[in-house]
Amino acid sequence: MKCDSCQEKATVFYTQVSDGKLKKFVLCEACAQEKGITSPDGLLMAEELLGGSPPPNQPIGPFPAVAQEDCRACGFTLEDFRKVGRLGCPQCYEAFSQEIIQRLPSMHKAASHKGYIPEGLVKQQAIRSELTSLSTDLERAISEERFEDAAALRDRISNLEKKEEGVASL
Amino acid sequence: MMRFATLLKHPADWMTGHDAETSVVLTSRVRLARNLAQSPFPGWARKKERQAVRDSLQGKVESLPGMKDGFSHELSELEPLQKQVLVERHLISREQAARNEGSGSVVNRKQTLSLMINEEDHLRIQAIRPSLQLREAYKLAHAIDQRLEGVVDFAVDAKLGYLTACPTNLGTGMRASAMLHLPGLVLSDQIGPVLKGISKLGLAVRGLYGEGTESLGNLYQISNQSTLGETEEEILDRLTKVIGDVARYETQARAKLVAEDPIMVRDRIGRAAGNLTYAHIITSKEALNHLSMLRLGADLDFMPSSLVEICDRLFMETQPAHLQWRAGKKLQPEARDIIRAQMIREHLHSSMPPAIDITGKES
Repeated sequence: MKCDSCQEKATVFYTQVSDGKLKKFVLCEACAQEKGITSPDGLLMAEELLGGSPPPNQPIGPFPAVAQEDCRACGFTLEDFRKVGRLGCPQCYEAFSQEIIQRLPSMHKAASHKGYIPEGLVKQQAIRSELTSLSTDLERAISEERFEDAAALRDRISNLEKKEEGVASL
Repeated sequence: MMRFATLLKHPADWMTGHDAETSVVLTSRVRLARNLAQSPFPGWARKKERQAVRDSLQGKVESLPGMKDGFSHELSELEPLQKQVLVERHLISREQAARNEGSGSVVNRKQTLSLMINEEDHLRIQAIRPSLQLREAYKLAHAIDQRLEGVVDFAVDAKLGYLTACPTNLGTGMRASAMLHLPGLVLSDQIGPVLKGISKLGLAVRGLYGEGTESLGNLYQISNQSTLGETEEEILDRLTKVIGDVARYETQARAKLVAEDPIMVRDRIGRAAGNLTYAHIITSKEALNHLSMLRLGADLDFMPSSLVEICDRLFMETQPAHLQWRAGKKLQPEARDIIRAQMIREHLHSSMPPAIDITGKES
């Protein structure tokens, strides 16, 4: 799939429901970043591309299309996976989790890990992904002028950051 | 740093020092697949990304305890023949041999540990031990893994375990395998049912060089198929038990052959010895099959027991890349067959009497 703005491979998918109508557009990583679409301010971009402003309080943001076709982190597609049986990057496991989980019973004894796990690393990675989602929430809260929420989020973030340092230094 | 020539001059520590333990199970190997959390897998990464991963991993791997003074190269620095030699020694995979820039190989001096950077996964840690010692091999690989996790951010998920380029390696990322010499089961036509039984247990059986290779010299590799849903110990215990059973069937099959059809067994061994001792042109396949019979002869005490180790060395050193490396040049298959026969004659003349009395045992 090609970017709506240039001819590069599209990796960012937008879906918007406006006045009961479904509108979709796709962008490459570079165009998405240039237009600030990775942040909630991407709203401006949505207006620019779709024409007219979305109804207020309608949550809009980059979220996966119904069945996600591409991994946002690396651009690998579900079709690629079906073709070669391998994945593009560790984040693909989240992007294509449905498809992968379906296939696990034919490959393995069971679908969940029982073996050795580096506890520190798992905790650290869980904290990191929580931090990413909290910062997105924070940016949104600020842009929507919900300052009490923002303050609460900021506290949670700084607590988590301390915790991350603690885990990392184990 | 160890030079390629030095690596080649010395047999790996798991190739020497044979005893009753290695009469059926030659080697045990364990490999762990690991990936960096923040980089695309090698097969999908851009060249620059692959380079960055190799640059960051190679130094960290080289400085691990036990890996210092080892062999460490980017694949692009090696000639095709050198790569092929490493494949024949099982120190890199066939898949990795096809790679160049951005792929690295680090091997310790004893050749018991081999780390492949940017093969199918960012890192594959492999440990090799002689005979049936899967748990010991795992311990070696696990120690390296734990050292690295202090300095590298491995991709891991609480539910799926280690994340790998191919979901068939998910979870433990561990593939454990043993190389078995099964001439008794082959000669007594029992190999088919045994292999079938093994695959019914959810284990994989392959030829000498892994996936898709045919069995030569009656050598078979048995490994785990599933990597997710069991602990490493459970996988290793199951494999160790099955491999131990197969080794026992093999020993029983040998004993039965000797008891029921001693002339046939001696004839096969004697013909193999004759061909190896006097041939002047011998292909790799023919050599492997005769060496297998000669090794059986030594294991059964029809031949001097010192031949077991010589056979195992020749299994390795008569393969095409090893042979050409020794000769110091690329050779056509016909020329190789001549040099191979010469090499085998030289090795065997010193350990075998010129006329072999294989009836001696009966009198």
